[in-house]
Amino acid sequence: MNLYQKSKYENIVFVILLLICFLFMFGKFFSTVKCIKHFVYYMAYLSPSVASDIFKFSGNFADNIKSLIYLHQENISYKQKNQELTDQLRNYKSITREYEDLLKLLKLGKINNTESIYTKITVRESSLWYQSFIIDKGLEDGLYNGLPAVVFSKTKNSLCAIGTIVETYKKSSKVSLITNSESVLPAEIKNKGVNCLVEGFNSNLVRVTYIPLSVDVKPGDELVVSSLSSFFNEGIPVGVIKNIVQEPYVDFQTATAEVYFDMGSSNIAIILVPMEQKQ
Amino acid sequence: MKKPALYFFIYIVFCLLQFSLNQYLNVFGISPNFILVLIVCIGLMKGSFDAQIIGFLFGFTWDVFSTDIFTTRAMLFTMLGYFSGKLDKKFDADNIFFQCAIVLVTSLVYNLGIYLVSCIIMQNNVLCSSNISVLKGISKILATVAITPFVFYVLRRVLKGV
Repeated sequence: MNLYQKSKYENIVFVILLLICFLFMFGKFFSTVKCIKHFVYYMAYLSPSVASDIFKFSGNFADNIKSLIYLHQENISYKQKNQELTDQLRNYKSITREYEDLLKLLKLGKINNTESIYTKITVRESSLWYQSFIIDKGLEDGLYNGLPAVVFSKTKNSLCAIGTIVETYKKSSKVSLITNSESVLPAEIKNKGVNCLVEGFNSNLVRVTYIPLSVDVKPGDELVVSSLSSFFNEGIPVGVIKNIVQEPYVDFQTATAEVYFDMGSSNIAIILVPMEQKQ
Repeated sequence: MKKPALYFFIYIVFCLLQFSLNQYLNVFGISPNFILVLIVCIGLMKGSFDAQIIGFLFGFTWDVFSTDIFTTRAMLFTMLGYFSGKLDKKFDADNIFFQCAIVLVTSLVYNLGIYLVSCIIMQNNVLCSSNISVLKGISKILATVAITPFVFYVLRRVLKGV
């Protein structure tokens, strides 16, 4: 309906405008038409000062448009530059972080009778997060199954146990973590001389079993690798006890502990190769 | 309110462009017809009603300042605005080839119209006798076609919101 009305209106206006045009066109010899034309001409004709102002204004307007375009282009280039600098800064921060980690590793004391092989964690699958990961060194670098792996923990500021190599390939190896449910690591509660076992259950917490009832264990006590371990060197930090469970009619108490390696560790794993084995 | 204000702005800008700044684009008396492109563009984008009124106003203004027969251009621009508006939605107005083609046809009609009115009312057929004038007319049409994509691009941006 609206469209029809609009169309009808258009046509009427068109006819009126044409009639006006024809009227003026064929009345060109009449003085009235000439008078109207001259009157409009007189009214519309710009005085030199107004024309000058208009030209000045249009000149300024063009200059403003030009400067706007320049500003826009400049803005785009600055945005690109900003993006590049942000990327560089991000790279710089990541490199600095890596550098600091390496510096800390460099300052660490050497573990007796072992050679440290620095490896990069290349694959750590989300489904196997607390079970295993892959490192970028293997048989060619002198690695073999059963070697202990440690990482630098920023919170602890020292090396801490992470797992052992279970599969070795030409240029890579698989490390089974101490949090793996199949892992059992002989440990010791630091400064208390009590041996116990650290059992993983596929989370960042481990279960500490076989703690004698007579021992006063408190949350916050530190766990280190005991001398009973056949893979790890004695005294390497493992984790910190979080809580203790004392079940009735059981000769031992159980605790849960949080492992150090998951708390802000870097992506560099150190494989400890015994010196005599290496030779 | 936004639409009339914008049309007024366009009117001022195109008057300046056609009657004042066109002298800088003038090469051997050949200059493009910005107003014709504007009317066709408004016709295709906004329909007959807007285009014919704008066409009439521009034509009337041009006639006031010219020595040709009064309201010739007003009549031609009104007609071209009306008919180009009728093509609205029949063709793709964003197609550059179509834009150039329609401006070419309207330019031909416009120049032919000016010539015919001049012949009929003033009994003046001097234009036919001069090859230079014909060449000049063709060059003007080509110049108008050449500026078409640019004017359409600018006007599409300006008229987008109304």
